[in-house]
Amino acid sequence: MSSPALMTSPEQAAAPAAPAAATPPSRPELSSRAARWFRLNQDRLRGLLIGTASLILFLIAWHLLTTYRVVFFVKFTNVPAPLAVYASFTKAIHDPKFLMHILLSCRRIFIGFSLAALVGVPLGLIMGRFKLVHEIIFPVAEVLRPIPAIAWVPMAIMLWPTNEQSIVFITFLGSFFPILVNTLHGMTLVDPVLVRAAKCLGARETSIFREVYFPASLPHIFTGLTVGMGVAWVSLIAAEMISGQFGIGYFTWEAYSLVQYADIALGMIAIGVLGLGSSLVIRAAGQLVMPWRSR
Amino acid sequence: MVRRLEALILSVTCLSFIAAQPAAAETVTIGIGTQDTTTNTVTAGTVVRQLKLLEKYLPRDGKYANIKFEIEWQNFTSGPPITNGMMANKLQFGMMGDYPLIVNGFTFETNPESKSRLIAVAAYSLSGSGNGIVVHKDSPYYELSDLKGKLVSVPFGSAAHGMVLKALQDGGYPSDFFQLVSQTPEVGSTNLQERKIDAHADFVPFAELLPFRGFARKIYDGVQTNLPTFHGVVVRTDFAEKYPEVVIAYIKAVVAANQWLRQDPKAAAEKIQEWTGINKEVVYIFLGPGGNMTTDPTIKPALVDAAATDVKVLQSLGRMKEFDPKKWVDDSYIRKAYAELKLDYDKELASTANYEVSGEDKFCNKPITEPRKAGEVWVDGEGISAFSSAACTLGAYADYKAKGKKINVAYVFDTARGIKLFADLAFFAAANGEIAPFLLKKDAEAYAAKTGGKVMGLDEAVKLAVAGGKT
Repeated sequence: MSSPALMTSPEQAAAPAAPAAATPPSRPELSSRAARWFRLNQDRLRGLLIGTASLILFLIAWHLLTTYRVVFFVKFTNVPAPLAVYASFTKAIHDPKFLMHILLSCRRIFIGFSLAALVGVPLGLIMGRFKLVHEIIFPVAEVLRPIPAIAWVPMAIMLWPTNEQSIVFITFLGSFFPILVNTLHGMTLVDPVLVRAAKCLGARETSIFREVYFPASLPHIFTGLTVGMGVAWVSLIAAEMISGQFGIGYFTWEAYSLVQYADIALGMIAIGVLGLGSSLVIRAAGQLVMPWRSR
Repeated sequence: MVRRLEALILSVTCLSFIAAQPAAAETVTIGIGTQDTTTNTVTAGTVVRQLKLLEKYLPRDGKYANIKFEIEWQNFTSGPPITNGMMANKLQFGMMGDYPLIVNGFTFETNPESKSRLIAVAAYSLSGSGNGIVVHKDSPYYELSDLKGKLVSVPFGSAAHGMVLKALQDGGYPSDFFQLVSQTPEVGSTNLQERKIDAHADFVPFAELLPFRGFARKIYDGVQTNLPTFHGVVVRTDFAEKYPEVVIAYIKAVVAANQWLRQDPKAAAEKIQEWTGINKEVVYIFLGPGGNMTTDPTIKPALVDAAATDVKVLQSLGRMKEFDPKKWVDDSYIRKAYAELKLDYDKELASTANYEVSGEDKFCNKPITEPRKAGEVWVDGEGISAFSSAACTLGAYADYKAKGKKINVAYVFDTARGIKLFADLAFFAAANGEIAPFLLKKDAEAYAAKTGGKVMGLDEAVKLAVAGGKT
């Protein structure tokens, strides 16, 4: 139904891009402000257009592969079609429960991730600055880091008094280690010349920390936060198996236990979109905090 | 010189092997999805695998002369992943409980390559035993009505889920009588142990296993719903149509596994513990004589009717559209298998009898005449002895203890419902030298009130049995 519309749009989307770039100089009577804005944001617009086109192409490919049930080594025979997923999406958005799933998951991610950032970043900074702390904590962290979220489920249930806390704990673990490791990495890359210069100028420990170490490792901290956010969403399914009631991870899991492929795909896409959204938020925060790095 | 000769011989033999290969080129992989921990599927899966029974019956001549079979066993803890594997054609056979089976059949309706068909039953309970609701042993809940407003978990889409819905319906309770959430057996067990949930409903063997492991108490048994429950085997039709003889061989292997189990249930339970990790005492309560599950591969009409009821439940939950279990059942393979084994399919189909506790009661010195009033004691290292009544069983229990023997477990039968119980978890109503075991406290209390007796636990009942002498 939507496929013909989808088919035409990439050409439409691609076509105006080229002439549009050429228009501003040929039409000087047009508001020069708009032209200027256009020129300034040309790169971003281009990215947006190509990005949209590629997403649409992805949808078309998905649609065609599933409609014709393509089999070439990988089999699309029983993969739900985008339209089937859309149908379960329209059903889901009219269901207040689905919104509840999403809101609860977002809350869990928010709390778990915030705690991970609040603990991980300072700990990483301290570990990077003081060797003894590094030597004490690093081995433990390295042992715990590779343990996948799903393996934590039984321990998390036993450790915490309520299930909600267990779930937040697992998302916390997921984002904590990437944040810690990246912060640590950022600290090791701080230019010692800068530190020495600050010392020569009479800076104390606290000011060196505030003025040199922290800003210098910020880019890596934000890399850690972005990666950590991704892993937090990855951990979500495992965590929400515990709740047995709410959360988008649980929604996906329940769809699996009732073998409803369209709902499984819907859950996956919802997690993907939410993950993308939260990464964008972090990137925006990064640009606010580090204006000198905006590209 | 010798070296070169050796090399020559080696290369010639290698070559001849390579040359011989094309003749026997075709390899057919048979993927079978089992549930090792789901005790009532073992005769269709685990036992067949471990005793290599399928290999024994696989066809070798005629059109199969040039076919080499490769059997690939995959173990899962629940049905849906097996359905997933079957849809992806990684598995051709799968075994699971009634609800997942129906979901399997329904999911295959949309598969253009193949459908799925129910070809045999692994084990069933016509009264619905096997599923159950357990609570933490220290909690003050003794029956379903005690769970009002409480948090109860069950694996959604499982046979136990169906039982919970039916139980609510039977009790005339609204759907929000308690808060029902979905948890896998693994997660639910841990949650119950930590008392994060008030009750956990589950399928075989968890309703017996968790009490046996010492932290749970069963307060509701599937028999109370009186809705049959079963585990069965489904097959992909594209595979079955291409290799019907393999499907028949598979069913023969299941029949052989059943015979093996019934020949020596104790040894079988011990082997199954070794293979699956489920305690032998728990295996025995399900699959032993008078056990809570009847292993029988025939597809009984009562089970198909139950499947139709299950479909309605799933439909009312909005989980399923039109699906007719009658069309999904295919007994042609099992009929052929029985005919080839010279067994009477229709006779076994009509019979719903389990094998029962039997023999001579060595403690009270009389034959066992009423198997569902009998009992058994499993002495560590010695074996299982059967006794003619609950009182004799408890008397023998005390006798073994006095002799310093280590008792693994003792079984008695519920007086009202005829299901097998762990004696140490039962409630006993005692009056006039008679001892009547019950699963539910309320049943024991009602019986005691009627007969003017009193309700007690195992220790007290044992003392009474000893004091009352041999009845």
